[in-house]
Amino acid sequence: MISGLFHILVFPGLLFLIAYSLFFSFMDRKIYARLQNRIGPHWYQPLADFLKLLGKEAIVPDHAAKKIFALLPVLSLVAITVSYLYIPTVQPQSLYPFDGDLIVILYLLAIPTVCFFLAGWYSTSVFATIGSVRALTQLFSYEVPLFMAFLAPALLADTWSLSGISAYYSAHPLYLLINLPAFLVAIVACQGKLERVPFDLSEAETELASGTFVEYSGRYYAIFRLAIDCELVVVASLIVAVFMPQQADSIVLGFLFYVIETMIVLFILALIRTIMARVRIEQMVDLCWKYLTPVALVQIILNLFLKGVL
Amino acid sequence: MNAEEKIVAKILERFPVLEGHVSIQRNQRVVVDYLVRRDFEKVLDFLAQSAGFTTFHLVIGVDNGDNLGFIYVLSNEENVLIFVKQKAPKARPNIKSICSIFPNALWHERELVDLFGAVVEELPPGPRYPLPDLWPAGNYPMRKEWNPAYLDKKTMTYRPPTAPAEGGESK
Amino acid sequence: MNQRITIPIGPQHPSLKEPGCFTITLEGEKVVGAVVGVGYNHRGLEKACEARTYVQNMYLIERVCGICSHTHSTAFCQAVEELAGVQISRRAAYIRVIMAELERLHSHLLWLGVAGHEIGFDTLLMYSWRDRERVLDTLALLGGNRVNYGINTIGGVRRDIDKEESHEIRRMLDFIEEEDKYYIDLTLHDSTLAARLGGIGKLDHEDALRLGAVGPVARASSVASDVRVVENYAAYNEFPMEIVTDDHSDVFGRAVVRVKEIMESIKLIRFGLDNLPEGELKVNVPRRIPEGEVLSRTEAPRGEDIHYVRSNGTDKPDRVRVRAASEANWHSVAHMLEGDYLADVPIIIAAIDPCYSCTDRAIVLDHRDTGHQHILDWEALRRYSVDFYREKGFDPQRIKFRERKIIR
Repeated sequence: MISGLFHILVFPGLLFLIAYSLFFSFMDRKIYARLQNRIGPHWYQPLADFLKLLGKEAIVPDHAAKKIFALLPVLSLVAITVSYLYIPTVQPQSLYPFDGDLIVILYLLAIPTVCFFLAGWYSTSVFATIGSVRALTQLFSYEVPLFMAFLAPALLADTWSLSGISAYYSAHPLYLLINLPAFLVAIVACQGKLERVPFDLSEAETELASGTFVEYSGRYYAIFRLAIDCELVVVASLIVAVFMPQQADSIVLGFLFYVIETMIVLFILALIRTIMARVRIEQMVDLCWKYLTPVALVQIILNLFLKGVL
Repeated sequence: MNAEEKIVAKILERFPVLEGHVSIQRNQRVVVDYLVRRDFEKVLDFLAQSAGFTTFHLVIGVDNGDNLGFIYVLSNEENVLIFVKQKAPKARPNIKSICSIFPNALWHERELVDLFGAVVEELPPGPRYPLPDLWPAGNYPMRKEWNPAYLDKKTMTYRPPTAPAEGGESK
Repeated sequence: MNQRITIPIGPQHPSLKEPGCFTITLEGEKVVGAVVGVGYNHRGLEKACEARTYVQNMYLIERVCGICSHTHSTAFCQAVEELAGVQISRRAAYIRVIMAELERLHSHLLWLGVAGHEIGFDTLLMYSWRDRERVLDTLALLGGNRVNYGINTIGGVRRDIDKEESHEIRRMLDFIEEEDKYYIDLTLHDSTLAARLGGIGKLDHEDALRLGAVGPVARASSVASDVRVVENYAAYNEFPMEIVTDDHSDVFGRAVVRVKEIMESIKLIRFGLDNLPEGELKVNVPRRIPEGEVLSRTEAPRGEDIHYVRSNGTDKPDRVRVRAASEANWHSVAHMLEGDYLADVPIIIAAIDPCYSCTDRAIVLDHRDTGHQHILDWEALRRYSVDFYREKGFDPQRIKFRERKIIR
C-alpha cells in the first residue's frame, strides 16, 4: 500500500514527472537557444516561470463558463499524469501493466487536446475560438498517423501491452530498425500532438495572440503550462518505450538509459522546432493525410507480413 | 526640346488660357499654378487620361491665408513630376475626390479632411485619418490660425484665449 | 462554413510592432475583407515643423522614423539646400550615400528577422538580428547612435569617415556579405520558407502601378522603380547602380528582393569607401531661406520618401509635408490580404515592412528637464549595459559570434 502510494506520488509518479518535466522544459529551451546562437535560460527558469505565474492574478472572462474554465487545466494535467503511470520508465515493466494499456495511454493523451479545445471555446474570445477550432482540426489530422505509427510495432511484438512491447524489443533490439519509418511518423505526429513549431497552429503567437490560451492567466495558465511540459515528457517516454530498447539489469542503469533516450528524442523534437517555420492549417492536414498516413499504413502491412515470416 | 518642355507645350496646346501659368521649376519638375475647381478638374483629367501622368504621389494641403491650396503631385513614365494646384476658399473648401482616377489618393484626401477641413465630395466611406475619434469638431490643426498651445489635451477642447470657454470644465 | 467572423488585428497585437488596426473579416480561415486603420501614432509633426527653425527641424525630421531616419533627414536637407541654392561638397554627398546604404543594410536585416518571426521561424529572427547588431555597432561608431545618427546637417554632413572607421566598415561588410550569401541561399531554397511565403499576398504588375506601390514591394512585382536611379540625388549618379527586381509578385518575391538588395548595398558602400573624394564636409547655408517651394525625393529602405518644403523668407518653413514609403504601400495591403488565409495576414502585413510612425509622422515627446545631466560616452554606455545584465545573472559578453575568416 505505502509503496504503491510512493510509486504513484513520488517515483516514478507525480513528483518525479513534474520535476523531470521542468528539467525537460529547461533542456528544450536551452537546446533551442544554443541552436539559435543564444545563451538560453538558467536551469531554474521553468520553475521560476511556473512559480511566478502561480502568484499572478488569475482573471476569468465575464462570459466564460467559470467552473469549466477553472477545471480544464487540472483535468488535462490529471490525464497526462495518469497516462505516465502506464509507461515503462526505469525498467521495461510499467507500474501497473495490463494488456491494452497502449490504447488507454493514446486515448488519455487525447484528453489534453480536447481540453485545449474546450478552453478556447469557453473563453469566448475570437482569437481563442479560432485557436480551438484549429486545435481540433489538428487533432483529426495527426491522430490517425500517430495511432497507426504506435500500433505497427505492437503488431510485430504481438501484444497490446506497452510493457510487453518494451520487453519484446529489449530482447530483440535489431527488430527496432524495421520500425524506423513508423518512428519518423511518430516523431512528426507527436510534434503536432505537442503543438510545437511547425505545428503550433492553435497557439500561433503572431497570428492569434496565443490562441486557445489567450484568456488564461495566473494559476490556471500555470497549470496548463505544467500540463504541456509534462505532456512533452510523457510523449517522449512513450516514443522511447515503443521505439527504443531498454535496460532491465538494474534500476540505476535503466534510469540512465531512460534519461539518455528521452534526451535524444527531445533533441530531435527541438531540432525540428528550430529549423522549421510554422505551416498553415491546410498544409498540416495535407502533410498528415498525404504523407504520414500512407507511410504508417505501409509500415503496418510490412509488420503484418514480417510477423508471419519471423 | 526636352521632356519637360514637351509637357508644357502639350498642356498649353490643350489649354491655351494657361499661358504663363505653367512653368518648369527645374529638371523633372513642372508646376501648374493654382486653379479654381472647375479648371483644375479639366486639367487633372487631361493629364491623367491623355498626357500619360498615371502615377499619383501625394496631395499637399497648404494654407494660403484666405484660400486653401491643394497641390497634387503626379508623375509619368519619364519620371517628370508635375504639381497641379487647386485652390478653394476657406469659407467653402469644397473639392472633388480624385479616388475614381487614383485609388491611392484615398488616405491623402482623408488627411485633407481632418487636418485642413476640406470638404472632399464623393470620398469613399471609411474610418477617419489621422486624428483620434475624440478630436473636437471644427478644429483643423494644419490651418495657420490653429495653435496647438490652446488645445487642452485632458478634456480635448480647444480654447483660444479670446473666445469664451466651451465644453466641460478642465480638471 | 459560411459564417463570417470579424477579428481585429490590432491596435495591440503581438504580430504588430507598432499600433495599427486591421479589421479582418473571415470566412472559415479565408480572408474576405480587410480594413486598414492607422493613425494611432499621429502626433502632429508637420505642425511642429512650422514653429521651429530649419536646423531644429533637421533633428525633428530625423525622428519621423527610427529605421529610415537618415533617408528622411537627407530628403529634408536636400529640399532646404535646393531652396537656399547651395551645392554640397562631393565628399559630403558620398558620406550621405554610405550612411543611407548602411541604413538599408540594417533595415533589410531587420525585416528578414521580423518576417521569420511572423511565420513562426524564430531561428531566422535570431540569426539575422545577431548580424544586424554588427551593422548597428558600425552605425553607432560613425554617428554615435544606433538609430538616429545625426550625420546630416543642412549644407553637408556633421561627421567625417576616417581611415580607421573605413577599415571597421569593411570588416563588417565582409562579415555581412558572407552571412547574406547564406540568407540568399536560404530564401531561395528553404522548403518551409517557400511553402509559407510563396503565392501569398499577390500584387501583380498592373495593380502595383495602379495602387502606387513603392520600394521593394513594387520591385517584387517587376516594377523597376528606384528613386536612387530616377532622381540621382546625393552622389548616386557616380555609383554603379543596379535595380534588383523580381517577378514573383508575392511575399516570397519581396523577400528575394530584400536579401539581394543587401548585396547591392554592400557593393555600393565598398565603392563609396574606395572612391571617397577629398573636400569640405559642410558649406554654409544662410539662416533665412529665400521664398520658394521644393519637393525632394529619396529612396528609403522601404521605398520612396517625399518631402515638400515651402519657405516664406524667414528662418522657419511655411509648410513641411512628409510622405513616407509605408504611407504609399498601405493602399496595396487591403488588396493583398483578400483571398488569403488568416495565417498569412501577419506576414503579408509585415511584407511591406510597415512603419506606422512614418505613416503618421510622429513627434518627439516633450522632455521634462530634471536638472540632472549625465553624459555617457559609447564605451561607458556599453559597460553600463553589460554590468546591468551581469547583475541580473548573465553575461552578454559570453555570446560568441561565429567569426568567419575575413578576407582583407
